[in-house]
Amino acid sequence: MTEFLFFSGKGGVGKTTMACTTAVAEADAGRRVLIVTTDPASNLADVFEQPIGHAVTAIGGVPNLWAMEIDPDKATAEYTDRTLAPIREIFPPEIVRVMEEQLAGPCTAEVAAFDRFADFLDPAALFEPTAPGEATAPAGFDLIIFDTAPTGHTVRLLELPEAWTRSITEAEAGTGQTCIGPAAAIADAKAKYERALAALRNPRLTRFVFVLQPEATSISETRRAGAELAKLGIATTELIVNGVIPREEASSPFFASRIAMQERHLAEIARQLPMPARRIPLLDGEVRGVARLRAFAPLLSDAGAARPVFGTPGSSHSTQVASSDVDAALAMLRPSGRPRTIFFAGKGGVGKTVVSCATAVWLAALGHRTLLVTTDPAAHIGAVLGATVGSEPAPVAGVEGLWAANVDAKAAAVAYTDRIIADAVARGRSPEAIAGMREELDSPCTEEMAAFDRFIELASGDTYDVTVFDTAPTGHTLRLLELPIDWSRQIDVKIFASVEATAADDVAKARFGRVIEMMRDPAQSTFAFVMYPEATPIVEAERAIRELGTVGIPLGLVVANMVLSEDVCETPYARARYEMQQRHLVEINRRFDVPVLQVPLIETEVFGLDRVRDLVGRLFTTPSLVA
Amino acid sequence: MTDSAKLSATTTAIDVEVFDPPLCCPTGLCGPVLDTTLLDLGETIVALQAEGHAVTRHMMTTDPQAFMRNREVYEAIKARKLEVLPITVVRGRIVKTGAYPTLDELHAALAAAG
Repeated sequence: MTEFLFFSGKGGVGKTTMACTTAVAEADAGRRVLIVTTDPASNLADVFEQPIGHAVTAIGGVPNLWAMEIDPDKATAEYTDRTLAPIREIFPPEIVRVMEEQLAGPCTAEVAAFDRFADFLDPAALFEPTAPGEATAPAGFDLIIFDTAPTGHTVRLLELPEAWTRSITEAEAGTGQTCIGPAAAIADAKAKYERALAALRNPRLTRFVFVLQPEATSISETRRAGAELAKLGIATTELIVNGVIPREEASSPFFASRIAMQERHLAEIARQLPMPARRIPLLDGEVRGVARLRAFAPLLSDAGAARPVFGTPGSSHSTQVASSDVDAALAMLRPSGRPRTIFFAGKGGVGKTVVSCATAVWLAALGHRTLLVTTDPAAHIGAVLGATVGSEPAPVAGVEGLWAANVDAKAAAVAYTDRIIADAVARGRSPEAIAGMREELDSPCTEEMAAFDRFIELASGDTYDVTVFDTAPTGHTLRLLELPIDWSRQIDVKIFASVEATAADDVAKARFGRVIEMMRDPAQSTFAFVMYPEATPIVEAERAIRELGTVGIPLGLVVANMVLSEDVCETPYARARYEMQQRHLVEINRRFDVPVLQVPLIETEVFGLDRVRDLVGRLFTTPSLVA
Repeated sequence: MTDSAKLSATTTAIDVEVFDPPLCCPTGLCGPVLDTTLLDLGETIVALQAEGHAVTRHMMTTDPQAFMRNREVYEAIKARKLEVLPITVVRGRIVKTGAYPTLDELHAALAAAG
């Protein structure tokens, strides 16, 4: 019997580290283990320090351990190939080519990545050699570990088996059509998704671990995600509370303040999330490579185990690395005669939301009409600003000139469906036809389309001087940003349309074209990558920047967040973390050919408007830029 | 089995069959722009079904074999490729090619086919 073990949680809490450490420990104990990541911006290869990719790959130095990074592009190619194989046998090449174009659309990508994920929960599918290299992998794993994308998208991924099953069932009873094909023809897919859902709901097969850190947003995100999973009938098994600063560091006032904050949150975790919880200390260095994973593993099974020392203090830098050019960095964030759109992107947990909120509050204070939007389904801007934020832009209480909104896929889908149905009613479609449309619109495709439509609307408005986007963690943001380009292309390969439909296509293309042009033009937009000075966020940003470069979107700014100040790092432990950061800050300045703005780690978490204002005061006080 | 043997069975209990061109999504509702042509077809099919007719759509992605089962359809696609699609078949015979049928056209074709 294969067991499934999920690691989920907010971005940056240490899901990958915990998942990899568990994988190594279980494999060392003699079980056959596969670790799969569903995060499109995977860090598995970074942690194991070897290439992995979209195939079940043996991990060097750990017998019994294999890994795979589900690559949405490759999953799509496999899915398309599978679909096209019978078509190639029957139809002339002209038709096959058009079918290929049709299947290159974003809808296929969404279905394909999910379908590949469902394969891993389906013992029947695991034995099929569906990926290159997979034929060499052993059949029958004892344990499959899922290192997931940050919670927002993982909850959605886990909702999909039920959503697709429902969509297919409704179509069977009604018009027979779903957006992935006629219901009758996808009965196999439905059966597979039902098996996946059954496996997820079976506590003897599936354990679900949330990793979190003792801080407010991490706790609230875990609570919310746990509640969403419970609605799906999936129980949370346990918690791993990571990043706990060792008590003995309280000798420094700075760390004493952060430890006190953590203590409050640890008490909150015990109160709000009553279930088994393991505490893992913040180490003095990064956990990368099999040797360090093995050194770290005892801490996961025994809270009393000695903390490994990874840091190498002594390699002291004479001076602290500073922001490269603060004036130039801040200039990238201000409108210059025309509206500016700023995208804060980066790995989960790097502080995109805090940096977005601080930037928006600062811009509003300078007198710019500012809209702050989060496209992250985990949506924390309201909590950080201490304000109520809904799906429509609304003024933020206490901050003149600032509006805020969430791109909420579910709310957007409801509004989108209502609009389409109202249009159908106005056109005089029959009640039966409208009922059929309602069934067809109750599909996961609609949610993504509606959220995208909302993004385009908010990105193309001209009501505000500045629009600040707090984006979802890298993998899903890249997809969102590339959707206007993908959909424009898809409209081009449309086979035929009525005169009316062609006119509507032209309107949509023009709308996407404006957003694409804005994203490519540094005078109109700034892409700012946020990272903390550690290896994983840096390499993840580098990969993402390269990918955006291929679609003509340039990098404008790097924000190095959570930077430790030298004067608070007195103990060997703190000193080791400081040195580690300094090495990475040198790397950041070297690797990114744009201004680098440093944001200090402060003695409290940035939560609530007062704290945001405090951070604004420390960050944006360059004399030349004060209004 | 020869092609002709495979293709000979064209009789079917289905009144109306629509053979779609290559499409990612048959509903017309999943793209960034509604496909009114496909929505019209959906409405036509719902209306025919309400009158008690058996109607089926065939898509290449999910049932390519259907395009081979009807010999006339298969030959038309081999000869005229993409431009012949979509093909509408009423009681086994092609009644329209190159565009989707209207409800009136289908009523007329059903009456003519007896």
